[in-house]
Amino acid sequence: MAWQDYVHDMQRCTRCSYCKWIPYRYMQNTDFIQGCPSISRYLWHAYSASGKFNMAYSLLQERIEIDESFLEVLYKCQMDGSCDISCKVQQDLEPLQLMQELRIKCVEEGQLVPAHMMVIEGLRKEDNMMQSKKTDRARWAEGLNVKNLTEEKGEVVFHAGCRYSFDQELWPIARGGLELLQKAGVDVGIMGIDEACCGGRAYELGYAGELTKYAEHQMEAFRTAGVKTLVTPCADCYAAFSVLYDKIGKKMGIEVLHLVQYLDRLIKTGQLKLTKKVPLTVTYHDPCHLGRLGEPWVHWQGKETKVMGQMIVHDPPKKFRRGAGGIYEPPRDILKSIPGLNFVEMYRIREYAWCCGAGGGVIDAYPDFAAWTGNERLKEAGAVGAEAIISACGWCKRSFLDAAAESGDKTKVYDIVELLQMAV
Amino acid sequence: MKLTNEEYQALEAVVGPEYINQDPVIMDTYNQVWGNKFFFDEKHSVRPAAVLLPASTEEVAAAVKVCNKYGILFKAFSSGFEYLSLSLVHSKGILFDLRRMNRILEIDEKNMRAVVEPYVSVYKLQLEAAKKGLYTGRIGVGYSAGVIAAECCHHGCQHTMVFTSGYGRNTLGVEWVLPTGEVLELGTGETGSDLFSADGPGFSLRGILRGRTGANGGHGVVTKASIKLYPWYGPPAWQQKKQPGQPLSWGQLDAVPDGYKVFVPTFADLDNTLSASEDLCRAEILCAFGIGIIGTSPFSEGNDEEWAAMKAMVANIDPAGGFSMANSVVAVIGGQSAGELAYKEKCLRAITEKWGGRFAPAANEPRGLARAFADIMWSNGVNLRATGDFLPSSSSPDGSPAMLKDLALKEGEVKKRYEQAGSFLAMGSGTRMVSWRPEENLSIGAQGISTAQYDPYDPVSLKAARDFIDELFDPRSAFHHFGVPSRGGCLQIEPVTHIHQNWGPLYDNYDKWVQQIKKMLDPNTVGDWTAYIPPEYPEYAKDGEYVLPSYGKDEQL
Repeated sequence: MAWQDYVHDMQRCTRCSYCKWIPYRYMQNTDFIQGCPSISRYLWHAYSASGKFNMAYSLLQERIEIDESFLEVLYKCQMDGSCDISCKVQQDLEPLQLMQELRIKCVEEGQLVPAHMMVIEGLRKEDNMMQSKKTDRARWAEGLNVKNLTEEKGEVVFHAGCRYSFDQELWPIARGGLELLQKAGVDVGIMGIDEACCGGRAYELGYAGELTKYAEHQMEAFRTAGVKTLVTPCADCYAAFSVLYDKIGKKMGIEVLHLVQYLDRLIKTGQLKLTKKVPLTVTYHDPCHLGRLGEPWVHWQGKETKVMGQMIVHDPPKKFRRGAGGIYEPPRDILKSIPGLNFVEMYRIREYAWCCGAGGGVIDAYPDFAAWTGNERLKEAGAVGAEAIISACGWCKRSFLDAAAESGDKTKVYDIVELLQMAV
Repeated sequence: MKLTNEEYQALEAVVGPEYINQDPVIMDTYNQVWGNKFFFDEKHSVRPAAVLLPASTEEVAAAVKVCNKYGILFKAFSSGFEYLSLSLVHSKGILFDLRRMNRILEIDEKNMRAVVEPYVSVYKLQLEAAKKGLYTGRIGVGYSAGVIAAECCHHGCQHTMVFTSGYGRNTLGVEWVLPTGEVLELGTGETGSDLFSADGPGFSLRGILRGRTGANGGHGVVTKASIKLYPWYGPPAWQQKKQPGQPLSWGQLDAVPDGYKVFVPTFADLDNTLSASEDLCRAEILCAFGIGIIGTSPFSEGNDEEWAAMKAMVANIDPAGGFSMANSVVAVIGGQSAGELAYKEKCLRAITEKWGGRFAPAANEPRGLARAFADIMWSNGVNLRATGDFLPSSSSPDGSPAMLKDLALKEGEVKKRYEQAGSFLAMGSGTRMVSWRPEENLSIGAQGISTAQYDPYDPVSLKAARDFIDELFDPRSAFHHFGVPSRGGCLQIEPVTHIHQNWGPLYDNYDKWVQQIKKMLDPNTVGDWTAYIPPEYPEYAKDGEYVLPSYGKDEQL
């Protein structure tokens, strides 16, 4: 659907402001009840999902134009989907899809954010979102005895993703994840320098064509390699492969798993044994793309109709994505299985988790906002007594590390892989 | 109408450049809200000339003084979940978005009160008050509503009023920035150091401060208020849990909290239901009470699911099951001790028995009662989802149960015509529903409430909604003796509905008094009067003495 096809949603946003908060039923600690980083940081109503509905409706009615201010409001947003979840507790609306389509419109009209232009230029040239050289893509795996699936066959492809491939501070996580799979006897390999971006983040910036291009490329590459399962430690890549490709009609013909799902499976089947104690009090941060945005895509075609006089329903009934189908239990099950680990939950979890700050191109264009958002989460981890915050996404770890470096927050930041390495 | 550079700079000097905005992209998100289509024929009302985000009373007062100097209209709002709070008479008007004033300043356990700023939501206060064994009333419009908006500026009704009284009855003191920019502190006649008076804001100024339906931002800004709190018999904290694999809207309590009990008695017919309701309310045992509400059902996550559930319910209805929503009530009792709770339960059961009531198992299963408790004590919010909009249609008077029954049945007859024509949501049961919200154990009566759900973007449905309201709000109609049709000021967009102008002459010319108050408080007419009253009525088209409604944007809007 194009942006203007969401006119029904624009008209029917009531301005209840639920999109600004986590769902009220789940509020516990009044210091941590905000859901949307954008409105929380920038205050003007436009920065909320409701405000985006309003902007779109004004644009449709030619009351406003896309200008610098419009772009700033639209892009100072992690596209984390918190608003979408809270909105749908009360309404049948699609705020996140509208925001996505507005970004696509901006790109199509050449209304671009300079920082994103540079990232996309790098992507088109080097097949990654990190403005790095394609030839360096496999350096993270140097010295590991791992198959290159462009040269030999393997059951499972390990897709590191752009962040893990080029952010050297995070290389140990990608390496550790791969080693854990190997330790459990998994027939796993990598694509080496031929691994390419999934296209998911580019899509979130509004570059829809990049997603299509990379989806087609990946499908062909994996078909050629003959792999049966794709595993990625990156939540963004997971959402792109499993959700966005399906959304655009490019559903992968192979099993797509996030690394935590695979590791959880290995622990539960006894192929991976955790024997060493890890005496830490930790909390788990749900990456948006693994949680609410990782919920499978739901295809629906039909029409609005009315029953009981004026009640608006769909024919056939439309199943809205409300976040419940994200990946929430496997990472928690892993943490609970680590000896000596004390696991505590934060106040905003699962589909109503607060974002790390990195998403939607914010880390590239507005790093101060990304750090602010990350710090809000670190405060929450501290509030529940956690010594460390654990995530399952390179973008989250990067955002938390940057935030902590800026604020001096002492909370340790780990990926779940790092804890498993301590425990194995 | 844009502000001049001089005007803008004067306001900017007050709040700082970061907290004032006049960008059209931002401004057009401050004039779109449910209900606008009904009044203005557009989702947009007037675009404000600027929006300010003040952080303190001093900033609000200084900005108001600038408005007086330059003749700029102003209005303040908290959550903005109401068309009244965002509409402006004309475009040389600014809005104060009070979201930076969001602190609970004090919870005074001993005197059972809280002092809050405007952006404190009801549920936020509930969470903090419960830690000290205190409770603030449920707000009908939902969790996100501001405490001050409800208690000091606007009007509505709720299921806990039987225990916590109505909107406006809990205001103990205020800090009030008058339309002149002067700051008035009410609530203490003594030291001046504390916002507290046991009987409202000082010398019975409740009527001036808010009247019955609230001034809706028409005579200044309440920047702090001291609000009465009530006992909370439950735990200091609670958790509503999502059911595995289910959407968030299914989150619920495991059980009714210790300290409370919930009962859903069903009666044979409407008369027995209402008689039992009166006795229950007057027995002074209730913490919350609702007639004919579906408090025990899971809250469906969407219209499609709601529709499927309704069809299943109809298909599986058991005529011998003894449950009828229309003839059921939800009653919550609470107590400090097991003995108190047991006594109240005994009362409730005796009254139920007296009026031939029974407790249908389907309506009294434990998880359903836990859902009912959360809904009735904390609110699920307004269901605008079903059709896209709703009309708070009845005149919502404070009255006796008998009068409210009469009103509801008469109004129901009118509404039925529109339902049968397919213009409104029609449940199709043909059941006569009567609903009212008792206040203070019925000692000061109750408020009537009924709603009509319509689709504002369906021209036929929209026209029906306006015709329906015109019928009800015509002082020449049969409804004239039920009181001024305020519905909490919800339909009090004065340049459109002319409620005060039409109804004032029937009720002691009350509107003239309100106009005098407006003139006195706001000599320069800078407090936006869209949802209050103008100091002088402009000329509108008339049919004799009756001022015709003017839906759509006339020159003033």
